[in-house]
Amino acid sequence: MVYELGVKYLKVWQPNGFPSPINIAKTLEILLVDHTLGIAVLTSIMRLAIGYGISLVFGFLFALIMLRFKALQENLSPLLLGLQTLPNVCWVPLAVLWFGLRESTIIFVVVIGSTFAITLAVESGVKNVKSIYLRAAQTMGAKGLKTYQDVALPAALPEIINGMKQGWAFAWRGLISGEMLMQVKGLGEILIVGKEKADINQIMAIMVVIIVLGLMVNKLVFERVEANIRYRWGLD
Amino acid sequence: MSLILDGVGKRFITKHRVVHTLENVTLEINQGEFLCLLGPSGCGKSTLLNIAAGLEKPTTGKVYFKEKEITEAGPDRAVMFQEAALFPWLNVIDNVEFAMRMSGMPKKERKEKALQVLKMVHLTEFQDSFIHELSGGMRQRVALARALTMNADLLLMDEPFAALDSQSKNILQMELQQIWWDTKKTIIFVTHDVKEAVLLADRVIVMAANPGRIKKEIKVQLARPRCLESLDTVYVEAQIMRELKNEVEKVAKAEYDSDWDLEKDTILLGPDHYLGIGL
Ligand SMILES: Nc1ncnc2c1ncn2[C@@H]1O[C@H](COP(=O)(O)OP(=O)(O)OP(=O)(O)O)[C@@H](O)[C@H]1O
Ligand SMILES: [Mg+2]
Repeated sequence: MVYELGVKYLKVWQPNGFPSPINIAKTLEILLVDHTLGIAVLTSIMRLAIGYGISLVFGFLFALIMLRFKALQENLSPLLLGLQTLPNVCWVPLAVLWFGLRESTIIFVVVIGSTFAITLAVESGVKNVKSIYLRAAQTMGAKGLKTYQDVALPAALPEIINGMKQGWAFAWRGLISGEMLMQVKGLGEILIVGKEKADINQIMAIMVVIIVLGLMVNKLVFERVEANIRYRWGLD
Repeated sequence: MSLILDGVGKRFITKHRVVHTLENVTLEINQGEFLCLLGPSGCGKSTLLNIAAGLEKPTTGKVYFKEKEITEAGPDRAVMFQEAALFPWLNVIDNVEFAMRMSGMPKKERKEKALQVLKMVHLTEFQDSFIHELSGGMRQRVALARALTMNADLLLMDEPFAALDSQSKNILQMELQQIWWDTKKTIIFVTHDVKEAVLLADRVIVMAANPGRIKKEIKVQLARPRCLESLDTVYVEAQIMRELKNEVEKVAKAEYDSDWDLEKDTILLGPDHYLGIGL
């Protein structure tokens, strides 16, 4: 309705510059029927899952190493903050030079985008844990890694989840920009193909898919975990 | 002999100044003794307790627990902090099980023991609640339960009941007396409350401030279980109150910079002023 009003009566939008929802739906259907969309979504999701999984492992690992060695912390934190401001796309040319046009290149771009967000969140989360929790744990015989596993990390979880969410958003961006620039199968590629065909419907259709997927993960994973934390801590 | 403090002193060096918190505190605590530390605010009671726990290192002097020098915190000395220090990400029973989990006790045994101590503090119904769902008094009871699971012979308690209303406080004091009686643990109990000290302690240590040191030791040889209303209790209370009064006054004067005067209230403190009780 809003769309019809805008195009037909107010003439604020060009019909070929801003497609109707109906046309987008039609394009989606076509893409679905010839399986391009399904395959693209699956490949993209696979890459994302692998990349984000690696980010989680490295993100936590780096954070723990930094927490263990004070000197590293002081020197690396500013560097990581700086790296975080670098948009994901900037890594693509470098990645292509290093790895060539391969699957691992995309994964690299995803990983590099989200790892540092996670590292920084874990590090600052653990540093901000109330010392009373650590002291109490110490008097109850918690030592070394157990202190991290059973006290520091759970206590820092609210902050860590935020970092993981941020990392997830960065991973998505890295993935799409990587796929667009490198034109290897996936959602990003269909987007670029849409641009080359000047098919606005296809571009919008893919954008909708990306947004919906992002929202779904947010709803199904992060929001649930967050709700659980809020319930436990009594933050509501 | 359970715990020995030998010439313990503590200085904190901060950016602005050096705080001389404790000086030459020497104290021996017997196995199974209930000791109360009493003193004005800032005289170093918490610091002393933290040193005994191994959370803080003394600047001078040594601390021995069961003939061994204390170098770090450990599960052989249970601590109950002023704030309950429970973990908000765990529910009540998991909080109580925490120490046992750290020591590697199997799940089933842990659960049994946790339920057993929760029963002692009358909280079995709340085992699945999260900490924020409990009242302040219930939190302190969970903290007590958690401390009791540790099988530590020494229990260090830092004003555990200070923030509670007098009703919950009374109940917990009675429960603690009972538990101490049943388990025969050594307990060091920090408090501001003279009544509480007399009710619970075998021996009361009155501390003085600036620097923190032991001013007077008073043995409380009253029959147990004690109750707050009995005459003997009130008598010992008054005796301790007199010792403490000077110290509190000194600190108050220093802190508030005014002509603070407690003399006006001394009619309540003297042992011969029972306000008509003997009529
Ligand atoms: N970490 C610290 N750094 C610097 N000064 C400290 C530190 N801990 C304690 N102090 C100082 O040591 C003194 C005693 O503190 P402490 O907490 O032991 O007093 P307290 O007797 O427990 O007082 P209260 O009854 O009010 O709890 C205070 O003057 C305080 O300023
Ligand atoms: Mg204190």
